Amino acid sequence: MSRIGVLSVFVVLLAAACGSEKKSEEGKAEKECGAAPAAMAGQPTLPAKFPTPDMVTYTAEKKTGPSTIVSGYREGELAEAFDDYKSAFSSAGYVTKDEKEEDDAEVNFSGGSSTGQVKMIQSCKDRTTLSITIRPQ
Amino acid sequence: MRASAATLAALALVAAGCGHSSASKQRTILIAVDAPFSRSPYIGNTIANGGRLASDQLTLRGITTGGATYRVRILQLDNALSPSRAVANVRRALREHATAILTDGTGVDAAWRLADKQHVPVCIAYQGGSKLVNPENRPNVFRIAPTDHGLAFRLAEYLVPKRLKIALLTDDSDYGQAGRDALDDAFRTVPKAVAARITLPASASDLAPQVLEARRSGATALLVWARPAVLGKTIAATRSAGWHVPVYSTPAAEDPVVRQQLADHPSWVDGLTFASGRMTAELGPAPWSTFEASYETAFGATSVGVKSHGRRVIAPPDYAMYSYDFVNLLAAAVQSASGTDPAKVLSALNQVTTRGANGDERGFNERNHEGVVDDDVYFARFRDMVFRPVGDDPLSSTLPEISQVR
Repeated sequence: MSRIGVLSVFVVLLAAACGSEKKSEEGKAEKECGAAPAAMAGQPTLPAKFPTPDMVTYTAEKKTGPSTIVSGYREGELAEAFDDYKSAFSSAGYVTKDEKEEDDAEVNFSGGSSTGQVKMIQSCKDRTTLSITIRPQ
Repeated sequence: MRASAATLAALALVAAGCGHSSASKQRTILIAVDAPFSRSPYIGNTIANGGRLASDQLTLRGITTGGATYRVRILQLDNALSPSRAVANVRRALREHATAILTDGTGVDAAWRLADKQHVPVCIAYQGGSKLVNPENRPNVFRIAPTDHGLAFRLAEYLVPKRLKIALLTDDSDYGQAGRDALDDAFRTVPKAVAARITLPASASDLAPQVLEARRSGATALLVWARPAVLGKTIAATRSAGWHVPVYSTPAAEDPVVRQQLADHPSWVDGLTFASGRMTAELGPAPWSTFEASYETAFGATSVGVKSHGRRVIAPPDYAMYSYDFVNLLAAAVQSASGTDPAKVLSALNQVTTRGANGDERGFNERNHEGVVDDDVYFARFRDMVFRPVGDDPLSSTLPEISQVR
């Protein structure tokens, strides 16, 4: 590789190291939680047999074109929420594909005539924020 | 002295020979890349180069398992977007004992069964048709690329809240027809958002009649799901008629062909917005940048053939990361299967995961053979011949801008 080539790679790597979406999220899991958001009135419209693990509170529901986004939170840490959703989807007969990182996780699901994703972010010490996207199949 | 030297040399050779026991037998993981190199060189080369980059890195690093050391070799086969040529290519790949077949998706409906008979995995790295992948019926077909279902639903989720009246324009190619099915699904529950459904004949030199039909339908936006050349012709027909309607599309919009076709009117490309798979993951842009730098070092940047503010525009190797990831997954499966026994490798592909080029986890399971999830679809908009993530979509607004000039 030429010197210019090596330098270009170095500059690209350096630039990449400077910006990181993840950095803005760092530290949230250590923060004390404030007051919990208010629960929504009634229950959201969820697909058939869609699981709601214990300690989950739904706070809002909105339509985005053909899809529905349900917001909520689960008391406790991210890892517990992730494990709960995985096991609950499995018990409900849904097909899943998941990914978990330090402060966020996703469980993608297919079942109940729908597809979508449960996105989990540990927003503070003892609360995991949920954003559930539901797409009709 | 001469005799001693000869003896020493002989001993050294014997010693070296001892090192080459069966434990270091050299074997090959052959991956056939069946792609449209002649008809869609951008797509073909992107898929092949991504696979080749991974294969070179793996060979350099060395894959040792089951008492053998493997190198990875790529066999490039042109399907020219023809299903029958794709079938012929798959037959050849099987004759040559390919461990896997990487494809853009052309002809998979006909070819997957041939590969399945020999338990050879087929991975689609471009086309997103929902019927192409089904773990129950097609256990050997995998995909690492955004699905049409994901693209169509994300486009509907993005566009419908804007209260646009959308003309859905799909071309008559396999790509366009699969897109039409996906759009029908996505807009089924929001029919009021659709002003018209129009088919674009891919062979037509002028699409003014179809554009006029869309305009007369009262459309306030066009969603074009077509091969790149047809998309370029649609934009040309729209803008040359003086209609400044917003145009939305699929990853076909990234293909250099679109910008090359409109190079005489760069402003016609401005505002073109498309859905595609996100390049960077939650971890941030560092893994992507490392991948992109390695890609450019190996193959050079892919020149689009146009300039932005006097600088050369390049195409980021976003789809190359999908073929790159598959080759790494395949290597992990070979490692897990302790060799290239097809049935064992196919089974292992349902178990292994790797860290992908952008830092995301890649892997399949027995019930899900999709490597890219719908929620990883983002939107980007062109300005001055390069594209940037849009600011009015929650996911896209968090993504970094990827430099596309050199």
